[in-house]
Amino acid sequence: MSNDAAARAHSGAVAPGTGERTFWGRLTSWPLYQILMAFLTASPRRQFLILAAFPLIWVLTQHLGPMLQMLRVSLTDAYPVAPGVEQHFTLDNYMRFFGDPIFWQPFFRTLTFAGVFTFCTLILTYPVAYFLARHVSRKNQMLYLLLLLIPFWVGEIVRTYAIMILLGNTGAVNMMLKWLGLIEKPIPFMYTSFSMGVGIVYLTALYMLLPLYSALEKLSKSFNEAAADLGAGAWTRFRRVTLPLTIEGISSGCTLVFLISTGFYATPVLLGGPSTTVFAETIAGFFHVAGDQWPTGAAFATIMFLTALILTSVFQKLMNALRKGDSK
Amino acid sequence: MNRRNRIVLSCVYWAFVLYVFVPLILMILMGFKDSKFIGFPIRSWTLDWYTGVFEDAEVLATLGYSTAIAVLSTIVAVAVGTWIAVLLEGRKFIGRTAIFGLTVLPALVPGIISAIAFRIYARWLGIEPGMGAIIWAHAVHNVPFVALVVMARLSTLPKSQIEAARDLGADPIVAFLRITLPYLMPAILGSSIFCLLLSFDDFVRSFFLGGYDPTLPVLIFAKLKSGMSPEINAIATIALVVTAAIGIWAERFTRRLNKDTQA
Repeated sequence: MSNDAAARAHSGAVAPGTGERTFWGRLTSWPLYQILMAFLTASPRRQFLILAAFPLIWVLTQHLGPMLQMLRVSLTDAYPVAPGVEQHFTLDNYMRFFGDPIFWQPFFRTLTFAGVFTFCTLILTYPVAYFLARHVSRKNQMLYLLLLLIPFWVGEIVRTYAIMILLGNTGAVNMMLKWLGLIEKPIPFMYTSFSMGVGIVYLTALYMLLPLYSALEKLSKSFNEAAADLGAGAWTRFRRVTLPLTIEGISSGCTLVFLISTGFYATPVLLGGPSTTVFAETIAGFFHVAGDQWPTGAAFATIMFLTALILTSVFQKLMNALRKGDSK
Repeated sequence: MNRRNRIVLSCVYWAFVLYVFVPLILMILMGFKDSKFIGFPIRSWTLDWYTGVFEDAEVLATLGYSTAIAVLSTIVAVAVGTWIAVLLEGRKFIGRTAIFGLTVLPALVPGIISAIAFRIYARWLGIEPGMGAIIWAHAVHNVPFVALVVMARLSTLPKSQIEAARDLGADPIVAFLRITLPYLMPAILGSSIFCLLLSFDDFVRSFFLGGYDPTLPVLIFAKLKSGMSPEINAIATIALVVTAAIGIWAERFTRRLNKDTQA
């Protein structure tokens, strides 16, 4: 791309009727197009409004609309409304959540699991990101990163299935342990919170790795060298320099992974058992049955989303405070 | 000291590589097992599961269905996402932050909640569950990724080129089509491929918005619920090969395109 691109844009655009029969020349000399252009560019204000109208309508109706509609349905007593029946507004759907442990137990379980799995992902990927950013030459970094990206292009269901094969009673891990003579009978990994954790960490690791990597990569080596010159040991350097300066990456990685892990449906269904029912399964249950349970499902989804948002924003505030406190 | 750190960390890295690759490799191997029973060890090998899958009309139809959904939803997502990016990048106006926040919203909503909200909204709009509903949900979900990638690319476009074109008499539409759009191509193609993969791999939205025809992940899920079989491994491996091939090709392609336009 060079300056002659601008010249090329000009060549066809402003010479209507001068014998240049390029596509652009023909387009811009077309009367209908000229009327349209005159209308569009009459004033900078109009030009901007026309540019802004579609995105504004799109994000309001397509991005915000579904969430608002979900909120509205969660406050009604019946949806979809049968003909001849009047729809009433009510808070009963929300009250139902607090009334029965069968509802709030999976809810708290989901939050706990998501928190624990997020922490595991962080511990697992931080050294990997550190190695990539600090110990791999710049030329090879993309290659090393790409190697980790490839498995993450594979979908949720296929990767969940791969974990089922890994952890099953005749799965690779059990067979390996048996062959080594460490166990007699297979360990029942599957359908527990352990198998679910392995699966969810496997699915979300990349969303933690990338923010950590970009935070570590931006970090200048000279900070560490200065700390070393001042006599700080490796552990102190990590704790007092590297960790505080990558808090932003940690904070955004954890937020992303937490939000994603609360939303998994298929993975808990396939890898979990009756004792690990998560809230996503509870919510989905209301949509498998006919119509009138939808408002309850919508209310539960709203509770889940708001809680997750509040928790992650409190977490981000805390991390921000931590960073500011450290830099003083 | 530094050397020891390096060795330890490189071991951690390679262990992580094993962690992400081994389950998939084992899954692929299991598709060649000559037995109905999933598990190790594998004593004899066969290609029967694959020939079976390629003769199965349902699987082939599902593959086509998933591909069509991925392509159509990507076209919508890329068009809308690019438009939003052009509006937001490099402009200051009242409400810009709000529009930006709403733009990324679908990417932040956890999967199950997004699926439920789309299901309710589709019902309200009168869209029946099925192909149209899935395409719509995938498109809305993928718009944020397109918008973010295109905005990043747009921020590096030298403003002088647009000004030069405008000075020479190009109107805004011609300047956009002949300067901005070609410059954005690497970002548009890169995010298209990302959208294709997201749509092709998506389970939760396809599951809640689908009619009677399953997409490929929904089909695998349904088969898994009735029991594991090497046939599922063969189907999953085909899905894996399709996505990995698109991904690797896209990676090389966008990198070359980036190099070309930077030169």
